[in-house]
Amino acid sequence: MADFIQIIILGLALGGVYALMASGLTLVFGVMRIVNLAHPIMIIAGAYVSYWLFRLYGLDPIVSMPIAAIVMFCVGIIVYKLVFEREAASAKYSEMTVLLTFAVAMCFDGLLGTAFSNTQRITSPSYATEAIFFGDLFIPKGQLFAGIASLTVIAALVAFLQFTRFGYAIRATTQNRDAAQLMGVNVGLVSIITFGIGIGLAGAAGALVSFVFSFFPAKHWEWIAILMSLVVLGGMGKLAGAILGALILATLAAFVSTYIGTTWSTMTFFLALFVILLVRPQGLFGDPLEES
Amino acid sequence: MNTHLDVGEVVEARKSREQALAGTAAAGRPTWVPIALLAVLVMLPAIQVFDGFNYVLHLGLYALMYIAMSSSWNILGGYTGYISLGHNVFFCIGGYFSGMILAYTGISTLLTAPFAGLAASLVGFGIGFITLRMRGPTFIISSIALLMVARILFDNWSFVGGANGVTLPQLTIDVQWAKLPYYYAMLFIAAAAVYCSFRIKHSKFGLHLRAISQDEVKAESAGINTRFYKMLAFAISAFFVGMAGAVWGEYLTYIRPNIFLIILIAANMVLMCILGGKGTVAGPIVGTIVLIAFNEFFVATMGSSEINIFGTGLVMILALLYFPNGIVGTLAQKKKLPRFLDWD
Amino acid sequence: MAKLLEVKDAVAGYGRGPDILTGTTLSVEAGHVQCIIGPNGAGKSTLMKAIAGLLPLRSGEIRLHGERIDGMRPDQILRKGICFVPQERALFGKMTVRENLRMGGFILDDPHVLGRRIDFVLEAFPILGERAAQSAGTLSGGQQQMLAMARTLIVEPQIVMLDEPSLGLAPQIVEQMYDIVHMLREKGMTVLLVEQNAVVGLSNADRGSVLDLGKTLFEGPASDILSDPRIQELYLGKPTQAA
Repeated sequence: MADFIQIIILGLALGGVYALMASGLTLVFGVMRIVNLAHPIMIIAGAYVSYWLFRLYGLDPIVSMPIAAIVMFCVGIIVYKLVFEREAASAKYSEMTVLLTFAVAMCFDGLLGTAFSNTQRITSPSYATEAIFFGDLFIPKGQLFAGIASLTVIAALVAFLQFTRFGYAIRATTQNRDAAQLMGVNVGLVSIITFGIGIGLAGAAGALVSFVFSFFPAKHWEWIAILMSLVVLGGMGKLAGAILGALILATLAAFVSTYIGTTWSTMTFFLALFVILLVRPQGLFGDPLEES
Repeated sequence: MNTHLDVGEVVEARKSREQALAGTAAAGRPTWVPIALLAVLVMLPAIQVFDGFNYVLHLGLYALMYIAMSSSWNILGGYTGYISLGHNVFFCIGGYFSGMILAYTGISTLLTAPFAGLAASLVGFGIGFITLRMRGPTFIISSIALLMVARILFDNWSFVGGANGVTLPQLTIDVQWAKLPYYYAMLFIAAAAVYCSFRIKHSKFGLHLRAISQDEVKAESAGINTRFYKMLAFAISAFFVGMAGAVWGEYLTYIRPNIFLIILIAANMVLMCILGGKGTVAGPIVGTIVLIAFNEFFVATMGSSEINIFGTGLVMILALLYFPNGIVGTLAQKKKLPRFLDWD
Repeated sequence: MAKLLEVKDAVAGYGRGPDILTGTTLSVEAGHVQCIIGPNGAGKSTLMKAIAGLLPLRSGEIRLHGERIDGMRPDQILRKGICFVPQERALFGKMTVRENLRMGGFILDDPHVLGRRIDFVLEAFPILGERAAQSAGTLSGGQQQMLAMARTLIVEPQIVMLDEPSLGLAPQIVEQMYDIVHMLREKGMTVLLVEQNAVVGLSNADRGSVLDLGKTLFEGPASDILSDPRIQELYLGKPTQAA
């Protein structure tokens, strides 16, 4: 029984991090209906920011989280302006847009690989290897702090969406872009800022990822499928769904990892993705008719 | 206030406007071009009589392989509109199918390739049954997930050597002529793929696929069995890729997951079709040649690996933003397509 | 009469497609209800979308009070005083009636003004008032159209544009809907509407414009258009038809 609870604790802690990783993806999809395959590489880019700040200046990754977030926010705005602004104008070609994000992912993969080579990196603040014990159970400190940090950021995001005027505009645009535009929302501006925020969230997640996982540029391909499974389980574009999906699947993967083997834990996400897409493609909270 | 209103004029204007929108038909096809091209390619290996053209043959072989694969991909991606970013799963299946047969029985892949293609097709049919239920972006994601799943499976399958793979026996031929059988095999596969692509495009099957790619719901309600046609397209598109994989494995003399199941290969297939013009017959060929030439130039000037990935990504971005219909497609749209490229 | 809105030689199309508007002109006078009629594909909806800023003009100009508004974003055009209700009605299906009205006042700065106007609308339209907490997606077609039109009162624009407001509505509902149109006019707004059912549209309007093949062929008092035999032959079918 204690084992059982232990696995759940580990799963939830990890799930919190996954939730943050997925939140930016969900936000961007909600507003722009873009499935951003480049999101995971942006997370890795954020991880590199934190990694280098740690190695060069000893800056704790949780402290450097806002820096990573801001850096990636700016990167997001630039990428949007260069690549997606034109596409956003023409509503069609949603598959082309996905390919575009794929191509952006490749570009960043290549850039990061050239700049930093493909060696596995990990930030190692002191707490990354320590753990807190409650009787028989333990939580790795690193994952605990990461989980708390994630939930804090997510809470801030939700507050932003619920209580600010811009958040109001984002929510309206997510529900019905055309209607929002006719109500006086500058949907172009909402799109670009939201994209920036989404990538900024990726950057923040990256700071946490830098000490929770080991990372290298090519790892983003794995995360695309993983994040997708979370987002699809929760329902594309629904933030609450993505969070729930992350917690559920991470816990499930933790069980698989313990009882079946670590190589198969990533499989959990991929298989879950297929199952969901077949059985209930709209996920837990999504809208029944998914217009691609 | 405009009071000039002639009933006859208005009706006339309507008629001529509708006619203008109907468009014009195309001129005849230049059938001599592919035949001439084929003849040239058949005779190309003759240069092996002179020394030092090994690399040219290799490049030719490589290009022909990609022509086969991208033409094949085009059937699903270009004609039917389902974009698969994990199509090299079939490359892998074909490679392992024939490779394992070769390792255990010594029968050359050149003979077993068609069966490898069939194996890939069958798997494709089965996978299509599951994944073709999804539309648009979700299908794309599932294809990437498929690639990841295949990678994990093959990396951990001890029977096929896991991540280390299997070494294959070599043909005992003089080095000077060693590449020839594979070259001709790839040439044959490429020609077959392009011909198949051409025939499909001009068949009722192709028409149905195009209807599906334009608007699947409408096609369905028009009575087209979209489910079956999509799966058939998927299976056919897997066939040539599987065959190519079989030959490639023996050519390299080893089969390993990381030569088949890397995302760059899938990206290349997609990019070649987009660059050339997906949905056309000549497009994949043009795209393949352009991309390989570009790659060669890149590697020669900047070295390989990471920059290559960046370069491929950049080319894809530019292609998608500025030539979404590819070279052949854009020229056709502007009515400036030279006849020798109009293979449709 | 003051020309409130003027469209001159507008040329527009979708994406890289052919020109739908091929040099359209239109003039709207303040305080009138003006109905645009014409066959399918004539460019009526396209014209409205162009005025609303949803579609860029390839050439030509659109002026409001003499000021050029072509090229402006839809939200800017709303702030200038033109409110557009498209065919799809642009409601937020998951929001309640009240929330839709609140969203309608997005560009208003003063929350008190917004609150007052919402209360006014809910009172003036009891059907909506009864359903204030109901989600808009569950309303009937007629109620949705009513909500979409009532929502324009929150912003109190100079011009309200309605694209096929009677689409999919039963004849009695259509009548009620035109009552709302007249109410908007009584409140001082100018209404420009596109109507597929030419007879109904023109009988409820002060002025009319006839659009065909992207050009305005005829513009003038609605009654003149209705009684013109050429119009009848081209656009109204046989003179005797049930409206």
